[in-house]
Amino acid sequence: MEKEDIKKVVRREYGSIARQAGSSCGCGSGCCGGGAEVGRSIGYSDQELASVPAGANLGLGCGNPLALASIREGETVLDLGSGAGFDCFLAAQRTGRTGRVIGVDMTPEMVERARENAARHGIENVEFIPGEIDALPVEDASVDLVISNCVINLAHDKEQVFREAFRVLKPGGRLMVSDIVVTAGLPAALRDSVAGYVGCVSGAVEKDKYLEGMRKAGFADITVHDERVFPIDCMAEDPAIRAILADPGRLGWKLEEVAESVRSISVSAIRPA
Amino acid sequence: MRRKLLDIICCPVCKGDLVLQVTEEDEEEILSGSLLCNACRVTYEISEGIPNLLPRTASED
Repeated sequence: MEKEDIKKVVRREYGSIARQAGSSCGCGSGCCGGGAEVGRSIGYSDQELASVPAGANLGLGCGNPLALASIREGETVLDLGSGAGFDCFLAAQRTGRTGRVIGVDMTPEMVERARENAARHGIENVEFIPGEIDALPVEDASVDLVISNCVINLAHDKEQVFREAFRVLKPGGRLMVSDIVVTAGLPAALRDSVAGYVGCVSGAVEKDKYLEGMRKAGFADITVHDERVFPIDCMAEDPAIRAILADPGRLGWKLEEVAESVRSISVSAIRPA
Repeated sequence: MRRKLLDIICCPVCKGDLVLQVTEEDEEEILSGSLLCNACRVTYEISEGIPNLLPRTASED
């Protein structure tokens, strides 16, 4: 798929998720159960889940609690692919009024929804901007921490996203992301499936290549903190993936094999001072 | 967008400064207006409080 086609598909799919009341879950066409259920399974505490505006957690992420825990008061935090604002609201509690959180998302409906969530709860130290994570509308060396939760895998050019993250970080600033990677090459039919793309799976690249992209962008101290097999139920409920796997003659891959090759990782890195 | 946001946003394409023009503002934020990148000759609209900074080039205007 061409770069612009991917952006269009991703924007359309996530726009339609934003318009749904968020009662069901995300990962595109269908997965994972409700937001709170997914939230707990990926490491957020009940207290954290209860502390953000209702409707901010669409159950689309793969978890970034470690990044949130690292935030200090007064810091500037940038969230790549902020969605309905869940991680931004949690981050804003930690930066306090002396700090600020900026969420960038290329889906205008998501930005509107996040703004409504912020306004309804009087959260003042968060701003949401429609923008693209591979062309950030953010000044050089202006951010202490870049976070991103299960989004970079959707980008066509992941290395360009890492270059942009590096550019906006202050020297010594941190990049802390959670994302989906694969351990072995996924079958082309899965990789190229548009629905699979939005289902957070087929856009994923191999883990080594992902980390190499960070290194090439200039990041140092690249550390994988957590790596887990992506919940097989999420995949089993994605209709597009089910349809492809239902044709074993074509692929020769079983659901279990695909699930085993898909990992959710959480990674941190530093822009050297 | 709050006025304070201006010190951290830039043109998504050339990363240059943006020139703000306000059409409507309340005590909290700028509700409508525009952000001009002189270098790219592109105007980014602010509408309903949201500055749309999805990258564009002059030819798309």
